[in-house]
Amino acid sequence: MFESFPEVCRSYGVKADVRSLLLLQKAIDRQLIHTVGDIYSFFKGSLVKDPTDIGPYTQAFYEYFVGVDVGAGERLNDAIARAETFKDWLEDFVQADDRRRDMELDDLINQFLDEVHTTTYDIKRVLDGEDILKEDDPDMKDDDGGDRADAANAERLLDKAADYRFVDLEELRKRMEKVMEQQTRDHQGGSHWVGTGGVSPYGHGGAAMGGIRVGGTGGGRMAREVMGDPQYYPVDIDAQINDDNIDATLATLKGVIEETNQRYLDIPLTVKEGVAQGGLFLPVELDKTEDKLQVILLIDNGGYSMDYYIRAVQALFKKMKTRYQHDLETYYFHNTIYKYVYEDERRTRKVPIERILSKDPNYRVFVIGDAAMAPYELHEGSIIAWGRISEKFKKSVWLNPVSEKHWHITWTTTMLRKIFKMYTMTPRGIEKAILGMNKKKR
Amino acid sequence: MAETSLWNGSDKYLCDRELAQAFHMARVLGMPLLIEGEPGTGKTELPLQYAKDSDIDLFVYPVGSKSTVDQFVARFDHVKYLRDSQVEVLNAQRDEKGLSTKLSTGGRSTDQLKDYVMQGPAAKAYSTPNSVLLIDEIDKAPREFPNDLLYALSHRKFVMPESGDVIEVSEEDMPAIVITSNREQELPTAFKGRCIYHYISFPPPDTMRDIVRKHYPKADDEIVQQAIDVFYQLRQLGLERSPSTRELLNWLKYMQTFAKAETMERIKKLDGLGALIKTQDDVRRVQRNLMDDIKKPGGASRY
Repeated sequence: MFESFPEVCRSYGVKADVRSLLLLQKAIDRQLIHTVGDIYSFFKGSLVKDPTDIGPYTQAFYEYFVGVDVGAGERLNDAIARAETFKDWLEDFVQADDRRRDMELDDLINQFLDEVHTTTYDIKRVLDGEDILKEDDPDMKDDDGGDRADAANAERLLDKAADYRFVDLEELRKRMEKVMEQQTRDHQGGSHWVGTGGVSPYGHGGAAMGGIRVGGTGGGRMAREVMGDPQYYPVDIDAQINDDNIDATLATLKGVIEETNQRYLDIPLTVKEGVAQGGLFLPVELDKTEDKLQVILLIDNGGYSMDYYIRAVQALFKKMKTRYQHDLETYYFHNTIYKYVYEDERRTRKVPIERILSKDPNYRVFVIGDAAMAPYELHEGSIIAWGRISEKFKKSVWLNPVSEKHWHITWTTTMLRKIFKMYTMTPRGIEKAILGMNKKKR
Repeated sequence: MAETSLWNGSDKYLCDRELAQAFHMARVLGMPLLIEGEPGTGKTELPLQYAKDSDIDLFVYPVGSKSTVDQFVARFDHVKYLRDSQVEVLNAQRDEKGLSTKLSTGGRSTDQLKDYVMQGPAAKAYSTPNSVLLIDEIDKAPREFPNDLLYALSHRKFVMPESGDVIEVSEEDMPAIVITSNREQELPTAFKGRCIYHYISFPPPDTMRDIVRKHYPKADDEIVQQAIDVFYQLRQLGLERSPSTRELLNWLKYMQTFAKAETMERIKKLDGLGALIKTQDDVRRVQRNLMDDIKKPGGASRY
């Protein structure tokens, strides 16, 4: 039952696997699941781990359980209106009472959602999928080369594969355990092994849920509520930093703060106090504070193209500074560096790069720039200067506001990428940059 | 047997259906409930009100940047132990010298190691069947804390340091565990995987009215409406620190001290703005954007 649901979820970027189904079984055993709405809430609680998952999860759920395929940026209502499931339902619904023809489309959709979410589901139902499962030998050995033959099989099995979803979960779990014992490597395709892309009952089944019995016990207007429309279009973490996603970025930036919760025994203080107390030595423990965070920002503020990003970056780091105490130094340059950078935005006060290079190597360096310039500007001297910075500060990254797909076009960008790890200036890019930085132990 | 019935909020707390369901699910499955959401949306209130309403013991562990699992479960107080053992030596010496007065060890005895075990909220909750355990603001914790915590929570058993006493709880008596986070830091995926997750979104104006009702049942409708209008308008400005439910409630509390006509006037003038807006930059921005706007007739209802 629902074996291919995790696969559908994964195709929308929501993490789900066998364990999600096992937990569902537990929930069914404990009488938590009565309606389709319960299944929605259950998976929402156990699969969604971030508000940005809610949209994709809802899409996956509606595709799998209701047969509604929500396109990118499409409103749920529109997607439902053109779904077959809805049209079939509408036909029956209107036939039952002629006056219903005059209802507004939105009301009809609400009615439909209500009924879907309150549909009772016969959980224990075991249907045709059983036959196919019987033919499959769970104790089959995992030899190389099995998948290709399986892949050929797959096409023939595809029709039947759709039926696996009705097989009893308990039965499937037992079999899955057996198969897992035998399985020794990753599988893609094929009809037997647990993996992706195949038609095995244990992984992706190619199943499209169509057999849902719409209409049930009725009552309770919850469908609209669970849809939570405002959350449906979450912060786009692949967009350039802007006012909307700056907080999301800030959350990822917290990763650069080094904190510790260790305590240490202060021996000199213990002795001093002990002597003062006439030989009663009580250990004095102090918190070890190591939350010093040092950041150098090198910002390319030459040309109009960078203006917009500079403001966003400055706002970001300024927010960060007010929230977490640390050393933040900002320098400016135009396109690239040679011997100097500048302290002020108008680039009048020169600072030799030697002064930067003489700083503590634990500083984290963020270079922010589009890395695009005339090839002659990035001559050998400049490359050496960048190299010295990247050599000295192991935790240095380049954040590029230009979309990654354009990077290979400019020669200078390609050159600089050989010196610095380059990331896009999006919340996701910054998160990756920080994770990469944290891995490097000085 | 732990209490696992569906709890739908109380007369003081408006618990939306989804949250109620997630909380119920967590309790039935014996998993911790992780609640995220903007500050001031009532994350911490859930376990507090639930414990109060159902008359259940509540244990709270506020997480800070220095939190350790030792504090959360139990730690052995070596300092006290050392002190008491030294006191015993001193007392023996005094005895020899014939002094009758003795230094006190506060009823503790160095023979009894468990006297020096300081139980944290987790140990206390586990030894109280059917209780509520709140782990507040876990995102403030040092990076390794959530994973350590996960390990501690995945076993229904704690071994006390040094004394070796075991605190164990059956699956039925597991405390209801609620963890809150403001999302200042991403939590490890493995950690989230073991929790039931719920994100409290910011309530729409209608729900906000109900929430205000719960807190101030006697408040005048018009005043509440006016205040909510202004409140949502302020939230539209994209301030550095947008006002939250908590701030609205505080503001209204202050507003209620005046007569109705005066209150309406004061709301229009954004009197007591300090209760809503918390940074100087934001105050300036509000003054620039809103002050004139709200004074105009009908201006406040436009958002």
